[in-house]
Amino acid sequence: MGTKMLELSEAPAYFERYRKIIPRFEEFLEHLKRPLPLYFRLNELKCPQEEIVLKGLERQGAKVFPVPNLPRFFRVEPRDFPLGNTEEYYLGYIYPMTLSSALPVMALEPQPGEYILDMCAAPGSKTTQIAQAANDQAVIVANDRRLDRLTALVANLKRLGVASALTTLYRGEVFPFGVPFDKILVDAPCSGEGRYRQGYEGELLYQKEGHTNLPAIQKGLLVRAFDLVKVGGIVVYSTCTINPEENEMVVDYLLRKRQAQIISCQYPLPHHPGITEWEGRVFHPELIKAARFYPHETESVGFFVAKIKRLF
Amino acid sequence: MKKKRRKKIHKEAKWPRVISFEEREEVLSFWEERFGIPPETFENYLLLSTAKNYWLFVKPPELRPLQNLQVQTVGLLFTRRVSKWLKPTSTALQRFGHLATKNIVELGPLELDRLRREKRLEFEADLEEGYVIIKCEKKIWGCGLYAKGKLISYLP
Ligand SMILES: C[S@@+](CC[C@H](N)C(=O)[O-])C[C@H]1O[C@@H](n2cnc3c(N)ncnc32)[C@H](O)[C@@H]1O
Repeated sequence: MGTKMLELSEAPAYFERYRKIIPRFEEFLEHLKRPLPLYFRLNELKCPQEEIVLKGLERQGAKVFPVPNLPRFFRVEPRDFPLGNTEEYYLGYIYPMTLSSALPVMALEPQPGEYILDMCAAPGSKTTQIAQAANDQAVIVANDRRLDRLTALVANLKRLGVASALTTLYRGEVFPFGVPFDKILVDAPCSGEGRYRQGYEGELLYQKEGHTNLPAIQKGLLVRAFDLVKVGGIVVYSTCTINPEENEMVVDYLLRKRQAQIISCQYPLPHHPGITEWEGRVFHPELIKAARFYPHETESVGFFVAKIKRLF
Repeated sequence: MKKKRRKKIHKEAKWPRVISFEEREEVLSFWEERFGIPPETFENYLLLSTAKNYWLFVKPPELRPLQNLQVQTVGLLFTRRVSKWLKPTSTALQRFGHLATKNIVELGPLELDRLRREKRLEFEADLEEGYVIIKCEKKIWGCGLYAKGKLISYLP
């Protein structure tokens, strides 16, 4: 399987097929030449007072700014500040993560007492965010199919002091039945187009030939998640790609196979409705209730989020 | 039928066992007596055990359905049995140590540095011998042992 890194000079040609769906396309292309801002999430399970982290990082030469409308998120300057080498990181007071990555868990709205499956969980930025949101009182099953990545997840759960998660190593498509999950997050493996930008050229490894069929994997994961969640429960499907074949088309597949509905959500970052037509194919009208986030509008990674309710 | 007890969490690990009421009392009394952290702090959590380890795990509405999963890890490593003593983990102290009222050792940044590098310090303080919480400028670093005029580091 030949994979190739997309050079910045090749980006306009690569993304050209999205000209019609990405708002202000030229601005988007320009934006890719800028580096990603640095953000972190504060972990109040470990950190007794916000001030300790803010003062600590400032003493080490960082400037820290709260992100408006996103409690517990902070932007750090300079953007190459080595957050991962700080005491605050080591003690689990912070989790560096990009802003838009917080959106799927906002859609999930975890509550204490719920059984929640995080089907593709490693390295755990969202698992730990779920734990925090439910004040360490939801019952979280954090699953990933790769042992090496699960090891990183286990380390992050320990670092953040999470006691509400157990970890498993299943292929999501065959995750066993039996737990009455209230909510499931499918943060699916994807082509990662939304991460692509200056300094992150390696994030987009596109296949020259014989590529893995990501949409087929994503459909398998989403259908299984739907079948695992209890009737009336919620599945959030998210990716960090712009590609409709990995987003709307995957959810469209589910909506045709099962009795499901998409729930609209409020988000603190600019977004656009899911698309209902792509290259001549028409999707289920519910898909306008899904949300698309673009790098140049969010100063972050491009994301797709659909909150799906199981009706029967 | 109850599943048999197993030991460690590894690739084919089975579920850790839920400990008896007495064993739970023993572990939580240790936290209360040694650090003044009341048992109610942990009332929403189960204590599970594998070999010499105790794990803290949120109390689910029902445990049985989860026990059918093949798990890698369950919850947070909380306390260990070291010969006849109970020893808190640094992770657990970092999480709950802010609630402690006693047996806390406050170090300055330079002392903490030295302790982390050299693993032990000559140290005199008005403390009971035994495990202590190591704290520096409001940050809890974890577990140490105070005995015979020395402070020994168990920081990870
Ligand atoms: C986008 S990443 C998840 C990021 C993670 N949710 C976070 O926020 O830190 C996708 C993950 O899916 C896992 N994965 C890929 N195929 C899978 C499958 N069939 N079943 C379960 N996990 C899978 C990968 O190992 C990878 O860790």
